[in-house]
Amino acid sequence: MSFVQYLRLADTMARMSLRAEASRYFLGYIWWILEPMLWVAVFYVVFEVLLQAGRADFLVFLMCGKLAFIWFSKSVNQAANSIVMNRGLVGRINVTKTLFPLAVVQEGLYRQAAVFLLLFCVLFAWGYTPSLAWFYVVPVIVVNYLMIVACAYIGACLVCLVRDFSMIISLGMTFLLFTSGIFWDVRHLPDPALTELVLAVNPLAFILDAYRQVLMFHTPPAWMHLLWVGCGAVALLLLMVVVMRRNSQYLALKALS
Amino acid sequence: MLELDQVCLSYQSRRQSFDHGSHHVLNRVSLQVYEGETLGIIGRNGVGKTTMLRLMAGILAPTSGSVRQHPGKSSALLTIGLGFRPDLSGRDNAMLAAMLQGATARQARSYLEEIKAFSELGDSFEERVKTYSAGMLARLGFTTALMTHVDVLLIDEVLSVGDTRFREKAQKAMIERITGDQTVVFVSHMEGQVRDICSRAVCIDAGSIVADGEPEAVLKTYRDLC
Repeated sequence: MSFVQYLRLADTMARMSLRAEASRYFLGYIWWILEPMLWVAVFYVVFEVLLQAGRADFLVFLMCGKLAFIWFSKSVNQAANSIVMNRGLVGRINVTKTLFPLAVVQEGLYRQAAVFLLLFCVLFAWGYTPSLAWFYVVPVIVVNYLMIVACAYIGACLVCLVRDFSMIISLGMTFLLFTSGIFWDVRHLPDPALTELVLAVNPLAFILDAYRQVLMFHTPPAWMHLLWVGCGAVALLLLMVVVMRRNSQYLALKALS
Repeated sequence: MLELDQVCLSYQSRRQSFDHGSHHVLNRVSLQVYEGETLGIIGRNGVGKTTMLRLMAGILAPTSGSVRQHPGKSSALLTIGLGFRPDLSGRDNAMLAAMLQGATARQARSYLEEIKAFSELGDSFEERVKTYSAGMLARLGFTTALMTHVDVLLIDEVLSVGDTRFREKAQKAMIERITGDQTVVFVSHMEGQVRDICSRAVCIDAGSIVADGEPEAVLKTYRDLC
């Protein structure tokens, strides 16, 4: 199978899954937008209405962080279980195992396109004038996507080897939810050194902050930092492709047994 | 064409059963598949027949021993039921199956009407597979499998289910397909099919080959085991 054919196959699998998912629910494709917006609403009620976060722009601040985080967490969580969930196909066809997590990530990408469109509309409605600086968001989205693919491959491999990793990854996402500056501002920590530390050790916190800097304040992301995160994601991704290709039959045995 | 040499396959079972958690599926199996022959594999449930086909198809690797395929020759495992996504329609599943077997999107789309006609699923072809009966699944499974064009066909029980009329039609289509140069390895529980279709048969029991040769003699060994 050629590389183009492999990408077409992953894309076809993603589009079919999306169609099947939409047909299961009464509200169909509306859930692409509704689910993340309900998450934002829950966080808004808790942190703004009940705990009074005290920012005039809290809704937009929250949306920039939470919507990108949902893309990451949902894609990685679902992709982590993808090889095991597809064991029927794994036992029938000798296909590279990266196909299954990639199809799930592709599904998330389609959903996220609609979510980003909504985010841009909300920003515009709240008085954030679109400018050329918004184009800085493109490299941020690309690096975010590469991080998702790399983590999806790692997760899918780990769950295939030991099913318990499914629980650990799910718990890890909750940990990242609290530590990546989604409902609190990483730039407003009491100690500036702590801000530097969080941004340095948690690439997701850096990416979420970069979305806000670009979309809310028209500030370009820290290019070198973004480049390092991007290169790290590509290196991990390529490493996982090699590992999963070399151990394709072992992963099949683990998924089937 | 295809050779299994002293092949063993075992895996660690999560529950501490069997041999200290290690489950031995195949034990020192050696077998040669010759060009143009139709080899039948028979044996009781759970003796390692499907695992043997998966090794031949390259889906699994042996724990020890080797599986050698003639360079440049391709093989594909045809099986029914497993692998279909229940929330997708018959059409989508057929399209996916064709693409997974190496067809381009355009080629896969061109097969769809042929699959719909042969499988006789009618309007159900557009329905989700989870609404299908076992017979309808068998029709879809066999028909999507039939379009694969490879040097070695590894067939796992695809002719064993479905109603009598469709089974006869499927068997006729398969016999048409395997006459000629096609090399086929064929797993079945149905003695009649092994007798009618296969030029040679092997019987497996407890992960080892217990009989190899003329189908009639091998079937006798199988009957003694049951």
